[in-house]
Amino acid sequence: MNGWLDVGALVKVLVFGIVAGAGLPALFAVGVRTQAVGAGTVEGQHLADDRRPMMTAVSYVCFALVAAAVVVGVLFVARDFIGHHTGWYVLGAEEK
Amino acid sequence: MNESLIILILVVATALAFDFTNGFHDTGNAMATSIATGALGPKTAVTLSACLNLVGAFLSTAVAATIAKGLVDAELVSLEIVFAGLVGGITWNLLTWLLGIPSSSSHALIGGVIGAMLAAVGSSGVEWKGVVSNVVLPAVLSPVIAGLVATLGTYSVYRATRGVTEERTERGFRIGQIGSASLVSLAHGTNDAQKTMGIIFLALISYGSVSADETLPPIWVIASCAAAIALGTYLGGWRIIRTLGKGLVEIKSPQGMAAESSSAAIILLASHFGFSLSTTHVATGSILGSGLGKPGAEVRWKVALRMVTAWVVTLPAAALVGATAYGITAGIGGLAGVIVVFVAMIGVAFAIWLRSRIDAVSHHNVNEEWDDERSSRRPAAVGAES
Repeated sequence: MNGWLDVGALVKVLVFGIVAGAGLPALFAVGVRTQAVGAGTVEGQHLADDRRPMMTAVSYVCFALVAAAVVVGVLFVARDFIGHHTGWYVLGAEEK
Repeated sequence: MNESLIILILVVATALAFDFTNGFHDTGNAMATSIATGALGPKTAVTLSACLNLVGAFLSTAVAATIAKGLVDAELVSLEIVFAGLVGGITWNLLTWLLGIPSSSSHALIGGVIGAMLAAVGSSGVEWKGVVSNVVLPAVLSPVIAGLVATLGTYSVYRATRGVTEERTERGFRIGQIGSASLVSLAHGTNDAQKTMGIIFLALISYGSVSADETLPPIWVIASCAAAIALGTYLGGWRIIRTLGKGLVEIKSPQGMAAESSSAAIILLASHFGFSLSTTHVATGSILGSGLGKPGAEVRWKVALRMVTAWVVTLPAAALVGATAYGITAGIGGLAGVIVVFVAMIGVAFAIWLRSRIDAVSHHNVNEEWDDERSSRRPAAVGAES
């Protein structure tokens, strides 16, 4: 572009921002929902006789994925520090 | 002890003071929504945020590219200009805190430095193109993008949890919020403490006690900057937390988590792709977006408008203070000038603090109902209108 603004990078921020920033809470919401369905507490279900263990399992998968994403986020923040002190360069960190 | 060493010490002290205001001005960016939804108790929230800011500050290994890089002519930067710029940033941070307005600490500092540069050298010392593309454009774009992401996130969260009891949803998302708020705090410590480290590092280089070839600032610089920003965060800018958590949108924990996730993602991505932006603008945009994304939620546009006005005013206002501070410093000259401005700054800070006691906001009343009529930062229970 004309040097005032890196439009390509801007689009990347927007796209990845939507995937991570909106996608993760949405995934977490799916976890909350499947957990509720699993426990039989969603509208239209009757308690106790309507438990669905499969849905409970799905909810744990969702929560685990979100947790994994947060761990990756923290590593991303700390990647230069980790690389500098351990020599273990992760997530695109570069030796300086 | 010679004169330039005393000036250096005063500049370092001022830089740490700025770092401290940066901390308490920005506590709300990470923690306001968690406090408002009750995901974390107010004291717990600021303590957690302070610890993560402390850790975050230590995580940054590269010397932050100086905040002034690409904005002012680096050849012309002197200790006095840095000092006057810091005074401008601190003063504006304190004033906006008094008004309970979340404005950008980075903009306050940049404005102060630009103002001091204008007073010292004139317009030729400022790289205006850099100011527009590194400061103005990101400031306009970042809240919009963060708001869009948070709107999408909030909307899909409410879609996905339709039919689930509110009690269950609230409980689940409160736990989620702790994670997302922590990530924002960590990112804040990494980004913002670096700015002050960069300034002190610059001051040390210009004094000659550190070589310009060093890639890491001395450990005492990292430690003191980390401590200053953490202490500021722990003190909690309750006025600003209140505006962000209660004033802008009546917020529920699913919205809070969506807003914080958006903030964390945008801050981390933007710094990865080389955009310098203000955590404050991102956080505010996200919280607004979480109000837009929830069906039937109300956004207080009047409060939002006040904030945007403050954002626009921040650069020129801090520049004005920075220019004045430089004028006085250089007018008196030498050590005496720096001391006079330093003492004046302490006086102004003390006056603002005294004024804040009249309608104090603390962890006790931060979550009181928002009073639309007075659009007030002050909880109604505290007393009569001033």
